[in-house]
Amino acid sequence: MLKRVFTIAAVAACVFLYMIPAFCQDEISFLKDPAFVHPTRPAAVFAHDEHNEKAGIEDCAACHHVWEDGKLVEGESSEDEKCSSCHQIKPESGKTGLRNAYHKLCSNCHIEEDKGPVTCAGCHPNGGAAPSGH
Amino acid sequence: MNSIYAFVVGPLAWIAWGVFIFGSLYKVVSMYQLAKAKDGSSLHYMSFKYGMRSILHWLNPVGTLGWQSNPYTALVTFVFHLCLVIVPLFLMGHVVLWDQFFGITWPTLPDTIADIMSIVFVACCVYFGLRRFLQRDVRFLTTGKDWIALAIPALTFLFGVLAYHQIGNDKVMLVLHILCGEIMLISIPFSRLSHMLFGFFTRAYMGSEFGGVRHSKDW
Repeated sequence: MLKRVFTIAAVAACVFLYMIPAFCQDEISFLKDPAFVHPTRPAAVFAHDEHNEKAGIEDCAACHHVWEDGKLVEGESSEDEKCSSCHQIKPESGKTGLRNAYHKLCSNCHIEEDKGPVTCAGCHPNGGAAPSGH
Repeated sequence: MNSIYAFVVGPLAWIAWGVFIFGSLYKVVSMYQLAKAKDGSSLHYMSFKYGMRSILHWLNPVGTLGWQSNPYTALVTFVFHLCLVIVPLFLMGHVVLWDQFFGITWPTLPDTIADIMSIVFVACCVYFGLRRFLQRDVRFLTTGKDWIALAIPALTFLFGVLAYHQIGNDKVMLVLHILCGEIMLISIPFSRLSHMLFGFFTRAYMGSEFGGVRHSKDW
């Protein structure tokens, strides 16, 4: 009897543990960076997984890059960090600010690939995510 | 379509700014040399004091008989030019691009204010158009060049408003907006829009002649 209860409890625990990531990480559908305290436009529409599948991006470092001393570090990625941990809202001179980092990363690639939105409204449509941080 | 966008915000923007800046310099210098060759005495009578006096009076929307006798046109003229200068310089969408391309930023207008000013600007253009069409004396003086000078800024702002309100395809509207803006820059030295370069000078010349030669007011 005790053994059976233990087995069921263990299975339940496994299922619960398995589901934790599902509860923790909602699917990303907007670039809603809390570092923008008073954003003026609705957060940019961005379905992370769908985007990367469509664009055929498998290397996280394609966007989550690492720069050191003004040079891109090959083979390192930064998906465990927030963009705002390097890109300040008000950057020091010569460094890329947070708004610029997003704009440049997205639109430069979209222009290079000739795909995806490039206009203000293309990424920040009316009725998109509310213009506020989390 | 992205490559067209990249072209109009890239190489074409450089061309437009280049033509605007160097074309304007060429126009100002060549006009000065023409005045020197053909009408040296007028240059001699140019006076800072009388020139500024005339400019300042005409900068007051109720400061001259001309403005007073056409109060609506005076009002629309002032509102039109204020919007024309302020909105493009302080629009967030524009400053974002300066930041993106050159890493420079400055304070911006709230989007709502800029939006209202842009719509008011288009309404002012409609007023000017109707005036040229309906008012007999103005109609008599109007030529194709005047319509071009009115249409270029009107279309630039109209496409800007449409792009902002997401009416029509966003890329088409934005590319048309940028194209019209670049046509505007290019045509400033070579069209009726050259009053941006010469308007104050013309006023100063009138002020100098009326003040220093005829000893009378010109407002």
